[in-house]
Amino acid sequence: MSLLEIRDVSKIYGELKALDRVSLHVDQGEWVAIMGPSGSGKSTMMNIIGCMDKPTSGEVLLDGVDISRESSRRLTDIRRDKIGLIFQQFHMVSYLTAVENVMVSQYYHSMPDEEEALEALGRVGLRERARHLPSQLSGGEQQRVCVARALINHPELILADEPTGNLDEANENIVLDLFAQLHREGTTLIVVTHDPEVADAAQRTIVLEHGRVAREVINEHFGA
Amino acid sequence: MTRKRMFLRMITASLLRRRSRMLIALLSIGIGATILAGLVTIYVDVPRQMGAQFRSYGANMLILPREGENLTKEDLTEILQAIPEEELVGATPYQYVRLDMTSRQQSFTAAGTDFTGVVRTSPYFSVEGAYPAETRQILVGREIAETIGVKPGFTMELTFQPSAAEGSLSPEESRVPGASLSGRGEGFGGGMVYVTALLNEEAGIDRITVDVSTQTPEYGGRIPEDDAFLAQFRGKSLPLVLGEDVDALSGATVTSGAIVDALNSAVQTGEAARPRTVMFTVTGILTTGGEEEGYVFLSLEDMEAMTGMDRLDVAELSVSAGAEQLERYAEAITEGGEKAQARLVKRVTRSEASVLEKLTALVFLVTLVVVLLTMICVSTTMMAVVSERRREIGLRKALGASDRSIRSEFLGEGMFLGLLGGVMGALLGFAFAQAVSVNVFGSSITFQPLLLPSAILVSMVVAALSCLLPIRRAVAIDPALVLKGE
Repeated sequence: MSLLEIRDVSKIYGELKALDRVSLHVDQGEWVAIMGPSGSGKSTMMNIIGCMDKPTSGEVLLDGVDISRESSRRLTDIRRDKIGLIFQQFHMVSYLTAVENVMVSQYYHSMPDEEEALEALGRVGLRERARHLPSQLSGGEQQRVCVARALINHPELILADEPTGNLDEANENIVLDLFAQLHREGTTLIVVTHDPEVADAAQRTIVLEHGRVAREVINEHFGA
Repeated sequence: MTRKRMFLRMITASLLRRRSRMLIALLSIGIGATILAGLVTIYVDVPRQMGAQFRSYGANMLILPREGENLTKEDLTEILQAIPEEELVGATPYQYVRLDMTSRQQSFTAAGTDFTGVVRTSPYFSVEGAYPAETRQILVGREIAETIGVKPGFTMELTFQPSAAEGSLSPEESRVPGASLSGRGEGFGGGMVYVTALLNEEAGIDRITVDVSTQTPEYGGRIPEDDAFLAQFRGKSLPLVLGEDVDALSGATVTSGAIVDALNSAVQTGEAARPRTVMFTVTGILTTGGEEEGYVFLSLEDMEAMTGMDRLDVAELSVSAGAEQLERYAEAITEGGEKAQARLVKRVTRSEASVLEKLTALVFLVTLVVVLLTMICVSTTMMAVVSERRREIGLRKALGASDRSIRSEFLGEGMFLGLLGGVMGALLGFAFAQAVSVNVFGSSITFQPLLLPSAILVSMVVAALSCLLPIRRAVAIDPALVLKGE
């Protein structure tokens, strides 16, 4: 069953075709990597899937709802309810502690619950660092807080934008292990990256070039 | 944890952990609130302060007896109940009469008054020497002092001439319980007969005593022993007519007539009508620059003793209240009193009102300017804060914050700033007002309990209004910016 169905989607900025009649689908529970060089349309794709932009034409069905025609207010609701976001730059609220940053996500979703937030931090191995401000955490730790924040509301889809782009190898492995864990639990993962190693961790890699799907690669070693 | 608590935790963390930025916004609001709270405090207090200042220009209300009414000190005390004690700076009664200084063949207007009141209602009176403190002491106006050449320590003899001494005796003036009249009449053979009568309260005769030593013992001379003859006079009013009011003693018709004549003449030159002379000691010379320099002032007690009258001609009041309030007091006194009416001294009350009006306009204008400046300052700072926090706002939106959430968070931060600024403003503002009050008016002011909540409310509203534009900017931020790896 597909969680995400993109049909014939184009996004045109003036003369530039960022996406050119792209179609793809992601199944429930699948772990997909989207690769491609700069300017290939990765970011645009990410924005559209993340309900932060709308395509010029085509349909985007997320969990059966066409998000290409929704109002931005509805898009905010859908993003909040269904998607957990992870960013390359970590993006934490600088004046809130690790656990408070996780709780911000709960706050916008439903109800802040410090216990649950601490548990999520425990899952990413940061329970001891819960009261630290972002400035007191390393890059890897910050990204793990972001993972905890992304999974706190049990989203159907985790959308990660270059999640390891700013991390060293050790931290990259920790984050990928966390993704694998989430995948085993049935969470759908879409990871945008240009790092082949990160892409290799996924079940399937979709390669974008010049706004089109250039090829799809099934990772035969997945799970090995 | 409830959403509300998380909300508070977020906005307080934003302010407390991002101190340096928010300090600027807090300072703008705090300084604005300080100036406003200070101005308002002074403004609220100024009428009182100004009132006290104006009170040094003299009385602003007069109490006058109504036509034909006799206003006494007791009446005045009762009238003063209409004015709250704390607003009544002073009330001074005056009784005016002409007193003669026979030795100089001069006569002056004399005012019997209460000197402790004078000090309050006429603070501008300047006395060389001292105010009278004891009985039989007198304050002399500069003009008189120069004319007759007296200085503090000198004595002067003043005489009160009752109007009766010039011919007729008014019933009031002789209606003194137990007053005695004495007179004489020409008896038999040209000898003088002296009669003294004691009056009752109706100005009728209570009893008479006669001195008939010049009369023939067998005739007129037996009158003192004749009780029946003397009893005839009891209860009679003067003047008497022989043969109608009283019958002559047979065989002493001439002497009887002399007694009636003596009594009739006594009505006009009775004890109550006799000039009274008192020796006063001058304690001070009064300079006012006004007509008071042509008066002499003595205590009301001395004056009443001399004139035998307890009427007041006027009472000067100094009331520390605004023009409208004064008007109300005057109306209450005039409407409520049968004996007296109140009049405002317009010259004083008008200038006070006009100064206050100008002050109100000034405070209003300054308030407006300060509020505007504060709003510009806070708005600019918040604008900078929004730019600085673009990524955070984008992140919040990406995490699912609705425009409403973003709005309420910034408004919350703004109003929290307003709260802190308001508290700071109320306290510093009071200190500022206190300093101004002490330096300018020379008196301290009391803390108005309402100042704190109103300062907080106003600064919160001002802060909220200042945040409107920055919030619009914050809401317009595109959440996608957090994805681009900027």
